[in-house]
Amino acid sequence: MTITREYLPEIEFEHVSMRYQTDAAEVLALEDVSVHIQKGEFVSLLGPSGCGKTTLLRIMADLIQPTSGEVKIAGETAREARLAQKYGIVFQSPVLYDWRKVKQNISLPLEMMSMNKTEKEKRIHNLLELVGLEKFKDKYPWQLSGGMQQRVAIARALAMEPEILLMDEPFSALDEFSRERLNEELLSIWSKFGNTVVFVTHSISEAIFLSDRVFVLSPHPGRLSAIVEIDLPRPRTKEIRNSPEFYQLISDIRSSFEGV
Amino acid sequence: MKNYIQLKRWTPTLVWIVGLLVIWEICSWFLLQVLQVPLAQSKLPYIHELMYTMLEYGSTLFSEGWVTFTNAAIGFALGAVVGSLLAILMSLSKWVEQLTFPYAVGSQMIPILGLAPIVYGIVHDDQLSRIIIAAYITFFPVALNVLRGLRCADPAAVELMHSYAAKPWSVYLKLRFPAALPGLFSGLKIAAPLAVTGAILVELMGATKGLGVIMLRNLYYGPSHNYMFWLTVIAGALLGIFSYLLITIIERIVSPWQPEFRSTGGDE
Ligand SMILES: Nc1ncnc2c1ncn2[C@@H]1O[C@H](COP(=O)(O)OP(=O)(O)O)[C@@H](O)[C@H]1O
Ligand SMILES: [Mg+2]
Repeated sequence: MTITREYLPEIEFEHVSMRYQTDAAEVLALEDVSVHIQKGEFVSLLGPSGCGKTTLLRIMADLIQPTSGEVKIAGETAREARLAQKYGIVFQSPVLYDWRKVKQNISLPLEMMSMNKTEKEKRIHNLLELVGLEKFKDKYPWQLSGGMQQRVAIARALAMEPEILLMDEPFSALDEFSRERLNEELLSIWSKFGNTVVFVTHSISEAIFLSDRVFVLSPHPGRLSAIVEIDLPRPRTKEIRNSPEFYQLISDIRSSFEGV
Repeated sequence: MKNYIQLKRWTPTLVWIVGLLVIWEICSWFLLQVLQVPLAQSKLPYIHELMYTMLEYGSTLFSEGWVTFTNAAIGFALGAVVGSLLAILMSLSKWVEQLTFPYAVGSQMIPILGLAPIVYGIVHDDQLSRIIIAAYITFFPVALNVLRGLRCADPAAVELMHSYAAKPWSVYLKLRFPAALPGLFSGLKIAAPLAVTGAILVELMGATKGLGVIMLRNLYYGPSHNYMFWLTVIAGALLGIFSYLLITIIERIVSPWQPEFRSTGGDE
Protein backbone atom coordinates (compact mmCIF):
# COMPACT_ATOMS: atom_id res chain seq x y z
CA MET A 1 0.00 0.00 0.00
CA THR A 2 1.56 3.27 -1.11
CA ILE A 3 -1.28 5.55 0.00
CA THR A 4 0.01 7.59 2.88
CA ARG A 5 -2.73 8.55 5.26
CA GLU A 6 -2.72 11.94 6.84
CA TYR A 7 -1.36 11.42 10.32
CA LEU A 8 -4.12 12.05 12.83
CA PRO A 9 -3.06 10.93 16.26
CA GLU A 10 -5.91 9.13 18.00
CA ILE A 11 -4.24 7.38 20.90
CA GLU A 12 -1.01 8.66 22.39
CA PHE A 13 0.84 7.10 25.30
CA GLU A 14 3.91 8.94 26.58
CA HIS A 15 6.16 7.09 29.02
CA VAL A 16 3.29 5.26 30.65
CA SER A 17 4.08 2.99 33.59
CA MET A 18 1.70 0.97 35.69
CA ARG A 19 2.55 -0.47 39.05
CA TYR A 20 0.04 -2.70 40.84
CA GLN A 21 0.20 -2.63 44.59
CA THR A 22 -1.07 -5.76 46.29
CA ASP A 23 -0.77 -6.90 49.89
CA ALA A 24 1.88 -9.45 49.04
CA ALA A 25 3.92 -7.73 46.40
CA GLU A 26 4.31 -4.96 43.92
CA VAL A 27 4.00 -5.74 40.22
CA LEU A 28 5.42 -3.50 37.54
CA ALA A 29 2.92 -4.34 34.81
CA LEU A 30 4.03 -1.69 32.33
CA GLU A 31 7.26 0.21 32.19
CA ASP A 32 7.79 3.33 30.13
CA VAL A 33 5.47 2.48 27.26
CA SER A 34 5.03 5.04 24.52
CA VAL A 35 2.66 4.26 21.67
CA HIS A 36 1.08 6.38 18.99
CA ILE A 37 -1.92 5.05 17.17
CA GLN A 38 -3.39 6.73 14.16
CA LYS A 39 -7.03 7.46 13.52
CA GLY A 40 -8.66 4.61 11.64
CA GLU A 41 -5.74 2.29 12.24
CA PHE A 42 -6.11 -1.37 13.19
CA VAL A 43 -3.46 -2.17 15.77
CA SER A 44 -2.77 -5.35 17.70
CA LEU A 45 -1.10 -5.69 21.06
CA LEU A 46 0.72 -9.01 20.98
CA GLY A 47 2.54 -10.79 23.74
CA PRO A 48 2.52 -13.73 26.12
CA SER A 49 0.07 -13.66 28.96
CA GLY A 50 1.08 -11.49 31.87
CA CYS A 51 2.95 -8.96 29.75
CA GLY A 52 0.50 -6.17 30.44
CA LYS A 53 -1.73 -6.17 27.34
CA THR A 54 -4.96 -5.98 29.34
CA THR A 55 -3.44 -3.34 31.58
CA LEU A 56 -2.55 -1.22 28.55
CA LEU A 57 -6.05 -1.58 27.14
CA ARG A 58 -7.68 -0.72 30.46
CA ILE A 59 -5.57 2.41 30.74
CA MET A 60 -6.71 3.43 27.24
CA ALA A 61 -10.31 2.89 28.25
CA ASP A 62 -9.92 4.87 31.49
CA LEU A 63 -10.91 1.84 33.52
CA ILE A 64 -7.67 2.28 35.47
CA GLN A 65 -5.23 5.17 35.75
CA PRO A 66 -1.50 4.75 35.09
CA THR A 67 1.01 5.28 37.89
CA SER A 68 2.93 7.69 35.69
CA GLY A 69 3.01 8.98 32.15
CA GLU A 70 0.52 10.72 29.94
CA VAL A 71 -2.40 9.40 27.91
CA LYS A 72 -4.12 11.43 25.22
CA ILE A 73 -7.12 10.32 23.21
CA ALA A 74 -7.64 12.60 20.21
CA GLY A 75 -6.08 15.40 22.22
CA GLU A 76 -8.28 14.83 25.29
CA THR A 77 -7.68 12.85 28.44
CA ALA A 78 -8.88 9.24 28.51
CA ARG A 79 -11.51 10.24 31.06
CA GLU A 80 -12.92 12.94 28.80
CA ALA A 81 -13.00 10.47 25.94
CA ARG A 82 -14.86 7.94 28.06
CA LEU A 83 -17.39 10.52 29.23
CA ALA A 84 -17.89 11.49 25.59
CA GLN A 85 -18.75 7.82 24.95
CA LYS A 86 -15.98 7.33 22.41
CA TYR A 87 -15.20 3.72 23.40
CA GLY A 88 -16.64 0.40 22.46
CA ILE A 89 -15.14 -2.46 24.43
CA VAL A 90 -15.21 -6.19 23.82
CA PHE A 91 -13.87 -8.25 26.70
CA GLN A 92 -12.40 -11.73 26.68
CA SER A 93 -15.74 -13.14 27.85
CA PRO A 94 -18.89 -11.78 26.21
CA VAL A 95 -20.24 -10.17 29.43
CA LEU A 96 -23.81 -10.28 28.21
CA TYR A 97 -26.61 -9.52 30.63
CA ASP A 98 -28.45 -12.77 31.34
CA TRP A 99 -31.82 -11.08 31.77
CA ARG A 100 -31.72 -9.42 28.39
CA LYS A 101 -32.45 -11.01 25.06
CA VAL A 102 -29.93 -10.59 22.26
CA LYS A 103 -31.53 -7.44 20.85
CA GLN A 104 -31.86 -5.93 24.33
CA ASN A 105 -28.21 -6.61 25.04
CA ILE A 106 -27.28 -4.77 21.87
CA SER A 107 -29.51 -1.86 22.78
CA LEU A 108 -27.92 -1.44 26.23
CA PRO A 109 -25.39 1.23 25.22
CA LEU A 110 -28.04 3.03 23.19
CA GLU A 111 -30.10 3.41 26.37
CA MET A 112 -27.27 5.55 27.73
CA MET A 113 -27.64 8.00 24.84
CA SER A 114 -30.57 10.14 23.92
CA MET A 115 -31.88 8.48 20.82
CA ASN A 116 -35.43 8.13 19.59
CA LYS A 117 -37.09 4.77 19.43
CA THR A 118 -37.30 4.31 15.68
CA GLU A 119 -33.68 5.24 15.15
CA LYS A 120 -32.68 2.90 17.96
CA GLU A 121 -34.62 0.03 16.44
CA LYS A 122 -33.17 0.68 13.03
CA ARG A 123 -29.66 0.64 14.39
CA ILE A 124 -30.23 -2.58 16.31
CA HIS A 125 -31.64 -4.15 13.18
CA ASN A 126 -28.57 -3.12 11.17
CA LEU A 127 -26.22 -4.43 13.83
CA LEU A 128 -28.03 -7.76 14.01
CA GLU A 129 -27.69 -8.03 10.26
CA LEU A 130 -24.03 -7.06 10.42
CA VAL A 131 -23.16 -9.86 12.80
CA GLY A 132 -25.61 -12.29 11.18
CA LEU A 133 -27.86 -12.82 14.19
CA GLU A 134 -31.26 -11.55 12.98
CA LYS A 135 -32.78 -14.94 13.61
CA PHE A 136 -31.54 -15.00 17.18
CA LYS A 137 -32.61 -11.56 18.28
CA ASP A 138 -35.21 -12.91 20.72
CA LYS A 139 -32.97 -15.55 22.28
CA TYR A 140 -31.36 -15.26 25.66
CA PRO A 141 -27.53 -15.29 25.76
CA TRP A 142 -27.35 -18.80 27.22
CA GLN A 143 -29.24 -20.11 24.21
CA LEU A 144 -26.34 -19.13 21.91
CA SER A 145 -22.97 -20.70 21.20
CA GLY A 146 -19.78 -19.02 22.43
CA GLY A 147 -19.03 -17.58 18.99
CA MET A 148 -22.53 -16.14 18.68
CA GLN A 149 -22.30 -14.61 22.14
CA GLN A 150 -19.08 -12.91 21.19
CA ARG A 151 -20.74 -11.60 18.02
CA VAL A 152 -23.47 -10.09 20.18
CA ALA A 153 -20.74 -8.47 22.28
CA ILE A 154 -19.19 -7.02 19.11
CA ALA A 155 -22.53 -5.69 17.91
CA ARG A 156 -23.09 -4.13 21.34
CA ALA A 157 -19.64 -2.52 21.26
CA LEU A 158 -20.40 -1.05 17.83
CA ALA A 159 -23.84 0.20 18.81
CA MET A 160 -22.65 3.62 19.94
CA GLU A 161 -20.64 3.88 16.71
CA PRO A 162 -17.54 4.40 18.82
CA GLU A 163 -14.49 6.16 17.49
CA ILE A 164 -12.31 3.63 19.23
CA LEU A 165 -12.95 -0.09 19.48
CA LEU A 166 -10.97 -1.88 22.17
CA MET A 167 -10.94 -5.68 22.07
CA ASP A 168 -9.26 -7.82 24.71
CA GLU A 169 -8.60 -11.33 23.33
CA PRO A 170 -12.21 -11.49 22.13
CA PHE A 171 -11.82 -14.78 20.29
CA SER A 172 -9.36 -16.60 22.52
CA ALA A 173 -12.06 -18.85 24.00
CA LEU A 174 -13.21 -20.02 20.58
CA ASP A 175 -12.05 -22.88 18.42
CA GLU A 176 -9.67 -22.20 15.53
CA PHE A 177 -12.41 -22.41 12.87
CA SER A 178 -14.77 -19.93 14.50
CA ARG A 179 -11.88 -17.68 15.31
CA GLU A 180 -10.69 -17.45 11.71
CA ARG A 181 -14.21 -16.86 10.45
CA LEU A 182 -14.78 -14.13 13.04
CA ASN A 183 -11.44 -12.54 12.10
CA GLU A 184 -12.69 -12.16 8.54
CA GLU A 185 -16.05 -10.85 9.73
CA LEU A 186 -14.34 -8.37 11.99
CA LEU A 187 -12.29 -6.99 9.10
CA SER A 188 -15.35 -6.60 6.92
CA ILE A 189 -17.19 -4.81 9.76
CA TRP A 190 -14.18 -2.57 10.36
CA SER A 191 -14.00 -1.68 6.67
CA LYS A 192 -17.57 -0.36 6.96
CA PHE A 193 -17.06 1.57 10.19
CA GLY A 194 -13.44 2.67 9.73
CA ASN A 195 -12.93 3.26 13.45
CA THR A 196 -9.66 2.89 15.28
CA VAL A 197 -9.25 -0.64 16.61
CA VAL A 198 -6.89 -1.82 19.33
CA PHE A 199 -6.97 -5.59 19.41
CA VAL A 200 -5.27 -7.63 22.13
CA THR A 201 -4.19 -11.15 21.27
CA HIS A 202 -1.56 -13.73 22.04
CA SER A 203 -1.89 -15.32 18.62
CA ILE A 204 0.78 -14.19 16.16
CA SER A 205 -1.19 -15.15 13.07
CA GLU A 206 -4.35 -13.46 14.30
CA ALA A 207 -2.41 -10.23 14.93
CA ILE A 208 -0.86 -10.32 11.46
CA PHE A 209 -4.06 -11.17 9.65
CA LEU A 210 -5.98 -8.29 11.21
CA SER A 211 -3.59 -5.44 11.75
CA ASP A 212 -1.91 -2.51 10.09
CA ARG A 213 0.70 -2.60 12.81
CA VAL A 214 1.53 -5.08 15.55
CA PHE A 215 2.88 -3.84 18.88
CA VAL A 216 4.92 -6.61 20.45
CA LEU A 217 5.11 -6.54 24.23
CA SER A 218 7.57 -8.40 26.42
CA PRO A 219 6.93 -9.39 30.03
CA HIS A 220 8.46 -8.62 33.45
CA PRO A 221 8.21 -5.75 33.32
CA GLY A 222 5.76 -5.12 30.45
CA ARG A 223 7.62 -3.23 27.76
CA LEU A 224 7.07 -2.42 24.13
CA SER A 225 9.73 -4.50 22.41
CA ALA A 226 8.93 -4.08 18.71
CA ILE A 227 6.50 -2.49 16.30
CA VAL A 228 5.93 -4.52 13.14
CA GLU A 229 4.32 -2.98 10.05
CA ILE A 230 2.00 -5.39 8.29
CA ASP A 231 2.00 -4.32 4.66
CA LEU A 232 -0.27 -7.07 3.39
CA PRO A 233 -2.86 -5.74 0.94
CA ARG A 234 -6.46 -5.16 1.99
CA PRO A 235 -9.13 -6.42 1.78
CA ARG A 236 -7.60 -9.53 3.29
CA THR A 237 -9.08 -12.92 2.62
CA LYS A 238 -8.28 -16.27 4.14
CA GLU A 239 -5.97 -17.13 1.20
CA ILE A 240 -3.53 -14.55 2.52
CA ARG A 241 -2.77 -16.86 5.43
CA ASN A 242 -0.98 -19.18 3.00
CA SER A 243 1.12 -16.52 1.29
CA PRO A 244 4.92 -16.47 1.72
CA GLU A 245 4.70 -12.87 2.99
CA PHE A 246 2.43 -14.06 5.79
CA TYR A 247 4.90 -16.74 6.83
CA GLN A 248 7.74 -14.26 6.63
CA LEU A 249 5.92 -11.94 9.02
CA ILE A 250 5.25 -14.79 11.43
CA SER A 251 8.92 -15.66 11.58
CA ASP A 252 9.89 -11.97 11.88
CA ILE A 253 7.66 -11.56 14.89
CA ARG A 254 8.81 -14.83 16.43
CA SER A 255 12.38 -13.70 16.22
CA SER A 256 11.49 -10.38 17.81
CA PHE A 257 10.31 -12.42 20.82
CA GLU A 258 13.55 -14.33 20.94
CA GLY A 259 15.47 -11.07 20.98
CA VAL A 260 14.30 -10.29 24.48
CA MET B 1 -48.39 -36.63 24.65
CA LYS B 2 -48.02 -33.52 26.76
CA ASN B 3 -50.62 -34.77 29.23
CA TYR B 4 -48.82 -38.05 29.43
CA ILE B 5 -45.52 -36.31 30.24
CA GLN B 6 -47.29 -34.17 32.85
CA LEU B 7 -48.77 -37.27 34.39
CA LYS B 8 -45.41 -38.97 34.42
CA ARG B 9 -43.85 -35.98 36.11
CA TRP B 10 -46.43 -35.89 38.88
CA THR B 11 -46.72 -39.64 39.45
CA PRO B 12 -43.85 -39.90 41.96
CA THR B 13 -45.26 -37.03 44.03
CA LEU B 14 -48.71 -38.55 43.98
CA VAL B 15 -47.45 -42.01 44.95
CA TRP B 16 -45.40 -40.44 47.69
CA ILE B 17 -48.37 -38.56 49.18
CA VAL B 18 -50.79 -41.49 49.00
CA GLY B 19 -48.15 -43.83 50.45
CA LEU B 20 -47.52 -41.47 53.34
CA LEU B 21 -51.24 -41.22 54.14
CA VAL B 22 -51.62 -45.00 54.08
CA ILE B 23 -48.67 -45.47 56.44
CA TRP B 24 -50.09 -42.78 58.71
CA GLU B 25 -53.46 -44.50 58.82
CA ILE B 26 -51.85 -47.88 59.62
CA CYS B 27 -49.65 -46.40 62.37
CA SER B 28 -52.65 -44.64 63.84
CA TRP B 29 -54.63 -47.89 63.92
CA PHE B 30 -51.62 -49.68 65.42
CA LEU B 31 -51.27 -47.16 68.26
CA LEU B 32 -54.97 -47.22 69.05
CA GLN B 33 -55.90 -50.88 68.61
CA VAL B 34 -52.74 -52.91 69.04
CA LEU B 35 -50.57 -50.97 71.49
CA GLN B 36 -53.62 -49.34 73.10
CA VAL B 37 -51.61 -46.25 74.00
CA PRO B 38 -53.56 -43.78 76.15
CA LEU B 39 -54.80 -40.77 74.13
CA ALA B 40 -53.63 -42.51 70.98
CA GLN B 41 -55.74 -40.29 68.74
CA SER B 42 -54.08 -37.08 69.92
CA LYS B 43 -50.71 -38.62 69.16
CA LEU B 44 -51.63 -39.72 65.65
CA PRO B 45 -55.25 -39.29 64.60
CA TYR B 46 -56.99 -41.31 61.89
CA ILE B 47 -56.81 -39.70 58.47
CA HIS B 48 -60.44 -40.56 57.76
CA GLU B 49 -61.54 -38.84 60.98
CA LEU B 50 -59.57 -35.76 60.01
CA MET B 51 -61.23 -35.76 56.60
CA TYR B 52 -64.65 -36.09 58.18
CA THR B 53 -63.95 -33.10 60.46
CA MET B 54 -62.55 -31.25 57.48
CA LEU B 55 -65.82 -31.66 55.61
CA GLU B 56 -67.72 -30.27 58.57
CA TYR B 57 -65.46 -27.38 59.57
CA GLY B 58 -63.60 -26.73 56.33
CA SER B 59 -65.14 -23.31 55.84
CA THR B 60 -64.12 -22.18 59.35
CA LEU B 61 -60.57 -23.34 58.73
CA PHE B 62 -60.54 -21.57 55.44
CA SER B 63 -61.84 -18.25 56.74
CA GLU B 64 -59.53 -18.25 59.77
CA GLY B 65 -56.62 -19.32 57.58
CA TRP B 66 -57.40 -16.48 55.22
CA VAL B 67 -57.16 -13.95 58.05
CA THR B 68 -53.77 -15.35 59.06
CA PHE B 69 -52.61 -15.41 55.48
CA THR B 70 -53.59 -11.81 54.68
CA ASN B 71 -51.96 -10.47 57.82
CA ALA B 72 -48.83 -12.49 57.18
CA ALA B 73 -48.82 -11.36 53.53
CA ILE B 74 -49.10 -7.67 54.40
CA GLY B 75 -46.31 -7.98 56.94
CA PHE B 76 -44.26 -10.02 54.51
CA ALA B 77 -44.63 -7.41 51.78
CA LEU B 78 -43.72 -4.66 54.22
CA GLY B 79 -40.68 -6.60 55.42
CA ALA B 80 -39.59 -7.31 51.84
CA VAL B 81 -39.75 -3.60 50.96
CA VAL B 82 -37.92 -2.53 54.13
CA GLY B 83 -35.32 -5.29 53.68
CA SER B 84 -34.69 -4.37 50.04
CA LEU B 85 -34.40 -0.65 50.81
CA LEU B 86 -31.98 -1.41 53.62
CA ALA B 87 -29.92 -3.57 51.28
CA ILE B 88 -29.80 -0.77 48.69
CA LEU B 89 -28.68 1.73 51.33
CA MET B 90 -26.05 -0.66 52.60
CA SER B 91 -24.77 -1.32 49.09
CA LEU B 92 -24.53 2.42 48.44
CA SER B 93 -22.49 3.15 51.51
CA LYS B 94 -20.13 1.08 53.62
CA TRP B 95 -20.86 3.57 56.37
CA VAL B 96 -24.56 2.72 56.44
CA GLU B 97 -23.68 -0.97 56.40
CA GLN B 98 -21.32 -0.72 59.34
CA LEU B 99 -23.87 1.32 61.24
CA THR B 100 -26.93 -0.85 60.64
CA PHE B 101 -25.67 -4.35 60.03
CA PRO B 102 -24.85 -5.24 63.66
CA TYR B 103 -28.34 -4.10 64.69
CA ALA B 104 -29.94 -6.10 61.90
CA VAL B 105 -28.08 -9.20 63.04
CA GLY B 106 -28.80 -8.46 66.69
CA SER B 107 -32.49 -8.04 65.96
CA GLN B 108 -32.61 -11.65 64.85
CA MET B 109 -31.27 -12.84 68.21
CA ILE B 110 -34.41 -11.69 70.03
CA PRO B 111 -36.80 -14.63 70.37
CA ILE B 112 -40.08 -13.97 68.57
CA LEU B 113 -41.90 -15.60 71.45
CA GLY B 114 -40.68 -12.83 73.73
CA LEU B 115 -40.99 -10.06 71.19
CA ALA B 116 -44.60 -10.73 70.23
CA PRO B 117 -46.16 -9.75 73.59
CA ILE B 118 -43.93 -6.67 73.76
CA VAL B 119 -45.09 -5.54 70.33
CA TYR B 120 -48.67 -6.28 71.29
CA GLY B 121 -48.20 -4.30 74.49
CA ILE B 122 -47.02 -1.32 72.49
CA VAL B 123 -49.50 -1.27 69.61
CA HIS B 124 -52.51 -2.86 71.39
CA ASP B 125 -53.85 -4.22 68.14
CA ASP B 126 -53.63 -7.89 67.30
CA GLN B 127 -53.83 -7.33 63.58
CA LEU B 128 -51.09 -4.73 63.56
CA SER B 129 -48.83 -6.78 65.80
CA ARG B 130 -49.17 -9.79 63.47
CA ILE B 131 -48.17 -7.58 60.55
CA ILE B 132 -45.22 -6.14 62.44
CA ILE B 133 -43.92 -9.56 63.49
CA ALA B 134 -44.24 -10.96 59.96
CA ALA B 135 -42.39 -7.92 58.61
CA TYR B 136 -39.76 -8.27 61.31
CA ILE B 137 -39.12 -11.88 60.39
CA THR B 138 -39.02 -11.11 56.67
CA PHE B 139 -36.74 -8.09 56.47
CA PHE B 140 -33.55 -9.82 57.59
CA PRO B 141 -33.21 -12.70 55.10
CA VAL B 142 -34.37 -10.35 52.35
CA ALA B 143 -31.86 -7.63 53.25
CA LEU B 144 -29.02 -10.13 53.50
CA ASN B 145 -29.72 -11.84 50.20
CA VAL B 146 -30.50 -8.69 48.24
CA LEU B 147 -27.31 -7.06 49.53
CA ARG B 148 -25.30 -9.99 48.33
CA GLY B 149 -27.08 -9.89 44.96
CA LEU B 150 -26.40 -6.17 44.55
CA ARG B 151 -22.74 -6.65 45.44
CA CYS B 152 -22.09 -9.73 43.33
CA ALA B 153 -22.88 -8.16 39.96
CA ASP B 154 -20.14 -9.27 37.55
CA PRO B 155 -17.24 -6.76 37.85
CA ALA B 156 -16.78 -6.85 34.07
CA ALA B 157 -20.45 -5.96 33.65
CA VAL B 158 -19.94 -3.01 36.00
CA GLU B 159 -16.91 -1.93 33.97
CA LEU B 160 -18.99 -2.14 30.83
CA MET B 161 -21.45 0.34 32.34
CA HIS B 162 -18.52 2.50 33.40
CA SER B 163 -17.22 2.50 29.83
CA TYR B 164 -20.56 3.87 28.63
CA ALA B 165 -20.19 6.69 31.18
CA ALA B 166 -23.43 5.40 32.73
CA LYS B 167 -24.93 7.37 35.62
CA PRO B 168 -24.93 5.59 39.00
CA TRP B 169 -28.71 5.19 38.94
CA SER B 170 -28.47 3.59 35.50
CA VAL B 171 -26.00 1.08 36.86
CA TYR B 172 -28.50 0.19 39.57
CA LEU B 173 -31.51 0.12 37.31
CA LYS B 174 -29.98 -1.82 34.44
CA LEU B 175 -27.43 -3.99 36.18
CA ARG B 176 -27.50 -4.26 39.96
CA PHE B 177 -31.25 -4.64 40.43
CA PRO B 178 -31.71 -7.40 37.84
CA ALA B 179 -28.57 -9.11 39.14
CA ALA B 180 -30.03 -9.02 42.67
CA LEU B 181 -33.34 -10.63 41.69
CA PRO B 182 -32.19 -14.21 42.36
CA GLY B 183 -31.00 -13.08 45.79
CA LEU B 184 -34.26 -11.28 46.47
CA PHE B 185 -36.22 -14.41 45.68
CA SER B 186 -34.06 -16.68 47.82
CA GLY B 187 -34.62 -14.27 50.69
CA LEU B 188 -38.36 -14.23 50.03
CA LYS B 189 -38.53 -18.01 49.85
CA ILE B 190 -36.83 -18.34 53.23
CA ALA B 191 -39.04 -15.67 54.76
CA ALA B 192 -42.48 -16.60 53.38
CA PRO B 193 -43.16 -19.71 55.53
CA LEU B 194 -41.54 -18.01 58.54
CA ALA B 195 -43.85 -15.01 58.17
CA VAL B 196 -46.85 -17.35 58.33
CA THR B 197 -45.47 -19.13 61.41
CA GLY B 198 -44.77 -15.76 63.00
CA ALA B 199 -48.33 -14.57 62.41
CA ILE B 200 -49.73 -17.78 63.94
CA LEU B 201 -47.47 -17.35 66.93
CA VAL B 202 -48.82 -13.86 67.58
CA GLU B 203 -52.37 -15.22 67.31
CA LEU B 204 -51.59 -17.79 69.98
CA MET B 205 -50.90 -14.94 72.37
CA GLY B 206 -54.31 -13.46 71.99
CA ALA B 207 -56.21 -12.40 68.93
CA THR B 208 -59.82 -12.57 67.86
CA LYS B 209 -59.43 -14.27 64.53
CA GLY B 210 -56.90 -16.46 62.79
CA LEU B 211 -55.57 -20.01 62.62
CA GLY B 212 -53.61 -19.56 65.85
CA VAL B 213 -56.79 -18.63 67.70
CA ILE B 214 -58.70 -21.79 66.79
CA MET B 215 -55.55 -23.84 67.26
CA LEU B 216 -55.31 -22.69 70.87
CA ARG B 217 -59.05 -22.97 71.50
CA ASN B 218 -59.18 -26.56 70.29
CA LEU B 219 -56.14 -27.43 72.30
CA TYR B 220 -57.84 -26.16 75.45
CA TYR B 221 -61.05 -28.01 74.75
CA GLY B 222 -59.08 -31.24 75.06
CA PRO B 223 -59.37 -34.64 73.43
CA SER B 224 -62.88 -34.03 72.11
CA HIS B 225 -61.53 -31.34 69.81
CA ASN B 226 -58.42 -33.29 68.92
CA TYR B 227 -59.22 -33.67 65.23
CA MET B 228 -59.88 -29.98 64.79
CA PHE B 229 -56.63 -29.16 66.56
CA TRP B 230 -54.72 -31.41 64.20
CA LEU B 231 -56.44 -29.80 61.24
CA THR B 232 -55.35 -26.32 62.35
CA VAL B 233 -51.76 -27.52 62.60
CA ILE B 234 -51.97 -29.09 59.16
CA ALA B 235 -53.61 -25.96 57.75
CA GLY B 236 -50.76 -23.86 59.17
CA ALA B 237 -48.21 -26.10 57.48
CA LEU B 238 -50.10 -26.01 54.19
CA LEU B 239 -50.28 -22.23 54.39
CA GLY B 240 -46.50 -22.11 54.74
CA ILE B 241 -46.03 -24.43 51.75
CA PHE B 242 -48.56 -22.44 49.74
CA SER B 243 -46.75 -19.13 50.37
CA TYR B 244 -43.46 -20.72 49.39
CA LEU B 245 -44.92 -22.03 46.14
CA LEU B 246 -46.52 -18.68 45.42
CA ILE B 247 -43.11 -16.99 45.62
CA THR B 248 -41.65 -19.69 43.37
CA ILE B 249 -44.30 -19.03 40.74
CA ILE B 250 -43.76 -15.26 40.91
CA GLU B 251 -40.03 -15.83 40.59
CA ARG B 252 -40.51 -17.82 37.42
CA ILE B 253 -42.59 -15.05 35.92
CA VAL B 254 -40.36 -12.17 37.01
CA SER B 255 -36.94 -13.67 36.29
CA PRO B 256 -37.31 -16.60 33.91
CA TRP B 257 -33.72 -16.18 32.77
CA GLN B 258 -32.18 -17.68 35.91
CA PRO B 259 -29.91 -20.70 35.39
CA GLU B 260 -32.19 -23.08 37.34
CA PHE B 261 -35.11 -22.39 34.99
CA ARG B 262 -33.15 -23.10 31.81
CA SER B 263 -34.53 -26.05 29.98
CA THR B 264 -31.84 -28.44 28.89
CA GLY B 265 -32.60 -28.67 25.19
CA GLY B 266 -35.72 -29.63 23.33
CA ASP B 267 -37.73 -26.38 23.35
CA GLU B 268 -36.60 -25.16 19.93
N1 LIG C 1 -5.54 -5.78 39.48
C1 LIG C 1 -4.30 -6.27 39.56
N2 LIG C 1 -3.65 -6.32 40.73
C2 LIG C 1 -2.38 -6.79 40.80
N3 LIG C 1 -1.68 -7.24 39.77
C3 LIG C 1 -2.25 -7.23 38.56
C4 LIG C 1 -3.60 -6.76 38.39
N4 LIG C 1 -3.93 -6.86 37.09
C5 LIG C 1 -2.84 -7.39 36.48
N5 LIG C 1 -1.83 -7.61 37.35
C6 LIG C 1 -0.50 -8.14 37.03
O1 LIG C 1 0.05 -7.33 36.04
C7 LIG C 1 0.70 -8.11 35.04
C8 LIG C 1 0.09 -7.82 33.68
O2 LIG C 1 -1.24 -8.30 33.67
P1 LIG C 1 -2.21 -8.16 32.42
O3 LIG C 1 -2.23 -6.75 32.00
O4 LIG C 1 -3.51 -8.77 32.78
O5 LIG C 1 -1.45 -9.04 31.33
P2 LIG C 1 -2.00 -9.75 30.01
O6 LIG C 1 -3.33 -9.17 29.68
O7 LIG C 1 -0.96 -9.47 29.00
O8 LIG C 1 -2.08 -11.20 30.31
C9 LIG C 1 0.57 -9.55 35.48
O9 LIG C 1 1.76 -9.93 36.11
C10 LIG C 1 -0.58 -9.53 36.44
O10 LIG C 1 -0.41 -10.51 37.43
MG1 LIG D 1 -5.21 -10.15 29.44
